[in-house]
Amino acid sequence: MTDARTDVASPRLAGGRGEPSPPVRARKPWWHRIGLTTSRRRALISLLIGVAIWEFVARVLVDGSLFFVPLTDVVRAGYDLTLTGELQHHAWVSFQEFFYGLLLAVLVGVPLGMAVGISTRVRDYVQPWISGFYSTPLIALAPLFILWLGIGIVSKVAVVFAMALFPITINTTAGIKNTDQDLIDVARAFGYSRTDIFRKVLLPSALSFIVTGFRLAVGRGIVAVVVAEFFGSRGGLGYLILVSSQSFAMDRLLLAVLLLAFTGVIGIGLVGRLERRLAPWREDMTV
Amino acid sequence: MTTPPMVSIRDFRLVRQTRGGTLLVLDDVSFDVADREFVAIVGPSGCGKTTLLKSIDGLIPRTSGEIAVNGTVVDRPGPDRGFVFQMDSLFPWRTVLANIRLGLEARSGDRATKNRTARDLAALVGLQGFEDHYPHQLSGGMRQRVNVARALAVDPQVLLMDEPFSSLDAQTREVLQEELLRIWSERSKTVIFVTHQIDEAAYLADRVIVLSARPGRVRASIPIELPRPRTLELKRTPEFIAIVDRIWQEIELNDSGRAARDADETQEARVNHA
Repeated sequence: MTDARTDVASPRLAGGRGEPSPPVRARKPWWHRIGLTTSRRRALISLLIGVAIWEFVARVLVDGSLFFVPLTDVVRAGYDLTLTGELQHHAWVSFQEFFYGLLLAVLVGVPLGMAVGISTRVRDYVQPWISGFYSTPLIALAPLFILWLGIGIVSKVAVVFAMALFPITINTTAGIKNTDQDLIDVARAFGYSRTDIFRKVLLPSALSFIVTGFRLAVGRGIVAVVVAEFFGSRGGLGYLILVSSQSFAMDRLLLAVLLLAFTGVIGIGLVGRLERRLAPWREDMTV
Repeated sequence: MTTPPMVSIRDFRLVRQTRGGTLLVLDDVSFDVADREFVAIVGPSGCGKTTLLKSIDGLIPRTSGEIAVNGTVVDRPGPDRGFVFQMDSLFPWRTVLANIRLGLEARSGDRATKNRTARDLAALVGLQGFEDHYPHQLSGGMRQRVNVARALAVDPQVLLMDEPFSSLDAQTREVLQEELLRIWSERSKTVIFVTHQIDEAAYLADRVIVLSARPGRVRASIPIELPRPRTLELKRTPEFIAIVDRIWQEIELNDSGRAARDADETQEARVNHA
């Protein structure tokens, strides 16, 4: 051994994958400078191919706008509906249902999941219900919610809540349970109180699980909004899909579906951003 | 020894309840550790070395007997003891500095002072420049440096170390052994160091305590009268090799212990002859 500290690399070397790499390549291609990274470029190419196939299938292979319409028709429908203000109205109705339902699910699901994760007693009482409800297709109860709570926003919020609650609760519990026992021992060895162990060990350790629960809940919440609106509503994107299919307005139907898909992508993107904010130490993890 | 012992263990006995009944883990363990002494504990796997160390820290409730640190009976973890865990057990969401600060956060005092202390310790273990790195950005050796610094940060009188270098490669381990001796001489702590590596124990310690196979009892207490400061060259001297051999023999007496079986064939042959 020539160097007494061979296990300590220089700070620059140990910076690892997380740090911006020094300018090795002299020039980046021009599209990088307008924010088009390699992975974004690939995503864009993939989407453009999809759009091209859609146009081709709709214009050449499928005969009749009763079954399928080209994307350009969908865009035109979107333009028309925006001018009348209908589209904004439906989107806003659905967004409110989705947002309040999800918010309630987070406010109830996270503390509930923590309680189940920490206390054996709570777990014993609550676990059978969670297991039962999680494997039940709760969406099938949507008509019942409409019956009880009317065709307004309340019934939709309830359906979204019911669908989003369980993934959040279960993931929160899993996060608490998954905490490394060694880390709890370290905190105990330093004389941490139970409150401090919860605050400084269990909670940060469970955070990434909780966010994964959010991600699942976003997907299920969107499904819940649409299906709940199918069963009885006066507005919303699900309502738009329903009335469009009844009048064979394929362009409007596809418009609503596209918007929902777009909302899902944005929602999951926001959760990902939240995750990077809450768990920066995971930022440069590679699988 | 005329000065009162820093750590005093009297008739310590520990029984653990398992599914198959009760298991006697440690039995009739008694020994003292003087102030600023470096004691290593070795013994076959499963002899209760780690259990004993955790008992000294107050992490495991005792069955009978007594452990006292600085005259006070141990019943829970306290600021007079610092524990270095076997796995580095760093908090992945905390930077190096925040990990070192962990034990300080359970105490009163202002944040700036705590940060300064943590920074000093990062420097002491050779991690200056890495304070803002996260554990996953560090090598195994660097993570163990953080682990040691974290235990030292609370300025304990007794440092309890549970096979801290066992997961490291041989070269890094030797570097950290040397570093540990340097830190120990700079900070003058009492150290109790559990290891399964005989040469590590002999190289580091003033005294090596050999535990028997389960139930763990003190089989021998061997003073290591090698001059300090010790360097890695010492490991190649005949005196050192003789001491290691002597400790091996003590362990071998536990013919049922796994360590004896793990030993090389020459030792096995010797047992057969006897």
